[in-house]
Amino acid sequence: MSWVDIGTLNDIPLRGSRIVKSPAGCIAIFRTAEDEVFATSNTCAHKQGPLSEGIVHDRKVTCPLHNWVFSLETGEAQGADEGQIATYPVKIESGRLLLNMDAVVAKVA
Amino acid sequence: MNMHTLPVSDTFVRVAEVWVPKDGRLVHAEGDYAHSPAFAAASVAESFAKGEGLPGKVWESGKPIVLKEFDGSYFKRRDAAEEAGLTSAVAIPVFAEDTLKAVLVLFCSADADHMGAIEIWEYMEERLTLADGYYGGATRFEAASKNISFSHGQGLPGGVWSANTPILKRDIGRAGSFLRSEQAAEVGLKTGLGLPIPTPGDNVFVLTLLSALNTPIAHRFEIWDARPECVGATRQAQLIDGLCKREGALWAQQNPPVDPTMVSAWMGPIGKVLGTGLPYVQREGAGLPAGYTSMFALPIYHEADLAYVVACYL
Amino acid sequence: MQKLVIIGAGMASGRMLEHIHETDPAAFSVTIFNAEPRGNYNRIMLSPVLAGDRSFEEIITHDDDWYAQNKVTTRFGERVTGIDRERKVVIGEQGEVPYDKLILATGSTPFIIPVPGHDLPGVVGYRDLEDTNAMIDAAANQGASAVVIGGGLLGLEAAAGLRMRGMEVTVLHIAGHLMDRQLDEAAGYLLKLDLEKRGIKVMTEANTKAIVGEGKAEKVLLDDGTELAADIVVMAAGIRPAGQLGQQAGLEMGRAIKVNAQMQTSDPDIYAVGECVEFDENIFGLVAPLYDQAKVLANTLLGQEDAFTVRELSTKLKVTGCDLFSAGDFAEGEGREDIVFRDPKRRVYKRLIVEDDKLIGAVMYGDTADSNWFFGLIKDGTNIEEMRETLIFGPSFQGGGAAASDPLAAVAALPLDAEICGCNGVCKGDIISAIEGGVTTLDGVRMTTKASASCGTCTGLVEQVLAVSLGDGFEISKEKPVCKCTDLTHEDVRRLIKSQELKSQPAVWQELAWKTPNGCHVCRPAINYYLISDWPLEYQDDLQSRFVNERNHANIQKDGTYSVMPRMWGGMTTPDELIAVANAAKKFNAAVKVTGGQRIDLLGIKKEDLPAIWSDLNEAGMVSGHAYTKGLRTVKTCVGTDWCRFGTQDSTGLGIKLEKKLWGSWTPHKVKLGVSGCPRNCAEATCKDIGIICVDSGYQISVAGAAGMDVKMTESLVDVATEAEVEEWVSAFMQLYRENAKYLDRAYKWVDKVGLDWVKEELSNPDTRKALVERFDISQSVYRKDPWADHIRNRSEQYQHLADLTEEAVA
Repeated sequence: MSWVDIGTLNDIPLRGSRIVKSPAGCIAIFRTAEDEVFATSNTCAHKQGPLSEGIVHDRKVTCPLHNWVFSLETGEAQGADEGQIATYPVKIESGRLLLNMDAVVAKVA
Repeated sequence: MNMHTLPVSDTFVRVAEVWVPKDGRLVHAEGDYAHSPAFAAASVAESFAKGEGLPGKVWESGKPIVLKEFDGSYFKRRDAAEEAGLTSAVAIPVFAEDTLKAVLVLFCSADADHMGAIEIWEYMEERLTLADGYYGGATRFEAASKNISFSHGQGLPGGVWSANTPILKRDIGRAGSFLRSEQAAEVGLKTGLGLPIPTPGDNVFVLTLLSALNTPIAHRFEIWDARPECVGATRQAQLIDGLCKREGALWAQQNPPVDPTMVSAWMGPIGKVLGTGLPYVQREGAGLPAGYTSMFALPIYHEADLAYVVACYL
Repeated sequence: MQKLVIIGAGMASGRMLEHIHETDPAAFSVTIFNAEPRGNYNRIMLSPVLAGDRSFEEIITHDDDWYAQNKVTTRFGERVTGIDRERKVVIGEQGEVPYDKLILATGSTPFIIPVPGHDLPGVVGYRDLEDTNAMIDAAANQGASAVVIGGGLLGLEAAAGLRMRGMEVTVLHIAGHLMDRQLDEAAGYLLKLDLEKRGIKVMTEANTKAIVGEGKAEKVLLDDGTELAADIVVMAAGIRPAGQLGQQAGLEMGRAIKVNAQMQTSDPDIYAVGECVEFDENIFGLVAPLYDQAKVLANTLLGQEDAFTVRELSTKLKVTGCDLFSAGDFAEGEGREDIVFRDPKRRVYKRLIVEDDKLIGAVMYGDTADSNWFFGLIKDGTNIEEMRETLIFGPSFQGGGAAASDPLAAVAALPLDAEICGCNGVCKGDIISAIEGGVTTLDGVRMTTKASASCGTCTGLVEQVLAVSLGDGFEISKEKPVCKCTDLTHEDVRRLIKSQELKSQPAVWQELAWKTPNGCHVCRPAINYYLISDWPLEYQDDLQSRFVNERNHANIQKDGTYSVMPRMWGGMTTPDELIAVANAAKKFNAAVKVTGGQRIDLLGIKKEDLPAIWSDLNEAGMVSGHAYTKGLRTVKTCVGTDWCRFGTQDSTGLGIKLEKKLWGSWTPHKVKLGVSGCPRNCAEATCKDIGIICVDSGYQISVAGAAGMDVKMTESLVDVATEAEVEEWVSAFMQLYRENAKYLDRAYKWVDKVGLDWVKEELSNPDTRKALVERFDISQSVYRKDPWADHIRNRSEQYQHLADLTEEAVA
């Protein structure tokens, strides 16, 4: 299991997101109001909008292009929309953010 | 709280008050003391620790209590109660599972002209027997009640207990209608309100308020069903039974009811109970049915959820 | 006046008489017979009377006074022994009565199983008050026993009632489980448990062999040898239509008296109604079709056209504390499908019967909350194919589920001094005083307190105060709430933020009882704006509550790149500015577009290049054009007195002054101005949010125009003489709009809601105007600055990616 250090919790605005470039494309790292972190694909399943630019609420994000809402936990589109974005394991250790590279690489295959 | 002197009602219940827990004591939340402003003054500033006074004793024991004698008891406001002509009290705890939410205390005034009974039935060895009761002058009825016990589903206490729902029984003085109907008829008892009183632990209690034609417990009763099995996952309640001296029957004539009367949390006095989850007492003010100036309402819980609201209008 | 004779004073004929008397009381002289010694009562409610939950007086529908008032001759307690159709005469026990029209409403009789001993005293049916009283009297003896034969709806209600009266009760049912027509075995089992909990004994597959006793019923014997003590035996094994009189009179019969759709029998002067009729091979046992028939018959007798049709039926078991509802058709059949839901822990059972993609039957046990909704689907014949998967979970499950709502909680919790109406300074206590003084309507509140009488935006809150005080007597009009997180409208929330001094997002979520932890993409930007607008010095703009454009201060395009638009004040630029723009375009490979707002747009800029391009433009003295914002966009101008032959005033100069005063402020929606130097209006000022037309005598200010999806001309606000006055009025209007409008309402929508008259009234008051300008200036002291420079200085690293893992080696 390879965990890669990508930065600190405070690098990410509260209820916001920053991007990590990866072999699997851009990954958005989200920080919720409760300081939980989630990592998902940055690309909306609808028309490829940048999810990291969306509004983060509870444990969800709304795509800025056409308002599709995704769960940060499962990657599933909410409500009447059907779609799925990839999610990746990410954790906090001593204030540092660690992203699971195995999961990312598996996505490239 | 209204300090004007108003005509004394002819109902059995004269004073209603609500006590809520705060910082380890029971403090006064509201009350209707129109019958006696002096008693009001003695009460509003009071507070009780667990085990202290009537509300405190109810909290400590975890069950409803009927107090028949103020003299020589743990009752603190003895003198004020005497002056106000109050002769008995019933303190009803409102528990949501193990948490005490409030205590509703009703004070009654009985004499030769005012007949009524308040009873507490407790489940013991598979039957409901009388744990305590206040009967005013109805001694034969009292004797009959001490000798009787009810099985599941039997009689008003048994019916309330097995169905776990408030029931308003009519015509209890009629022969055959009530196990103690003969003695009840003697003193003119007509209506019986039975309430399940949930308490922590496995104890089952049923409170019955029996009233006579000329001194009813109240002039208007309402039973509202707030269970999710009836109204869904909303903060609403449906009127399922009621009697009013002015309007007559309040229940729906059709089966199933068409467009039943509903109320939402915070709408009017019943809505207040749905919203706060606590008993409520109101004197005058808006929201009371036409012709009524006073009411008290009691929430009944099934475990942690508010299941019924019973309202009496004096 | 025709002579109308009715045989049977039951619920059907009672309702029919009501209809006739409502419409034409003088049409008939009516005589009514009833075998029971009384008039009509609500027979459905006999079970609650048996249980003691209702008194008989409560269920009487037509008492002696009613019949007297309606001039009906009553022959109660008298049986009819025959009908002479030739002479058109009814023969009663006490004499004959002639008729012009005759109605048979003889109802049903209970089916008494013909076992030996069925005619012993103490064996009763369960049909009328006599039966009920017999049961109540039997219960008078302590410890007495009752046996109820028949475990259908009626039998179970009888058992529960008898048990309440203290008797030892046993129910016998011939089938394998109770209510076998509606319930399956599992549900029948749940019902049995419920009854046993009440101390009622239930025996299924029990066949009665005989009833025995000395002179009266004492025991019931079953086929398998069981003996049950019984002081009273109740036969609740079904009912049969009472058609004997029809049979005797030679009318056409089926299982009951046959009628057509007008309730007419084979004799044109004889009609029949109620449980004694057969229509189209149907007979009837529930009250709803009886009421339909009563209406049709009344209309027919009065000469009006009407026809009876069979409708869907529903009913509830009337056992206190037992929730059982059934509707429609539950018989098994080919092409019918069952959908069943069971929750053994909660003892809930629901069963739906579907045929041809329509719901035709429903049974709910233990949870009847959705019964009305299912019954509606059955009645309407709705096609349920789309919702088949989730149908059984009820209405709240179709479409994602709804959170339990408590819409009045926030208003109920407000203190009495909370200000509800800002225009007139009316607080909650004032409104409640008015209600206690007798006011019960919105108009009443408007008249007595003035609340909601001016701009009207507090109407929703006033209605909620009325609902909290008056309870179910008051109906609130349904305005759409902000979003799924709340039941409050925008107007409610704006007012409460002001009156309760809510100065942070958590304060709003808490005090206004938000259903979600921190809102959603709909409400967060709105709340963020309202807080900025009302508390400019205390509340800090929250970037994470802004749409991407406003957060990144650039317009996002469809491919995720951005467009950058520097400000060109009043549409005027300089060669140096143009050079800077051109250089930036080259450096960052931008597409160049001239916009309608009189400036230049650079498209195709990547997010990570934004701080750099801003920096370049800043160096040339250019700032953000706010082309993406809900704030001031542009002030379009025409050249005016500087250059134009027709210019009356310096429109360009004024436009620049206005832009410099207004830029940077956040508003409910974008604001665009136009200043034209003369009425030829080359700057198209008359379709802007605020437009100024210069004239010789000064400036004509008009507002509330639109030129997008709606096109609307501005309306005159005021004419002034000096530039200073223009600035004052325009700032005041901006601030009034900022403080009062709903988020995402353009100025024209807001003015439409509150009325231009109200706006004029407010702004015409010099003190109000001055105060508004002051508040605007305070807000501008915080926000009138270049966000680009701000972002370059404070958060440029946010525009870069956090990490680059493209080169990470794979182990």
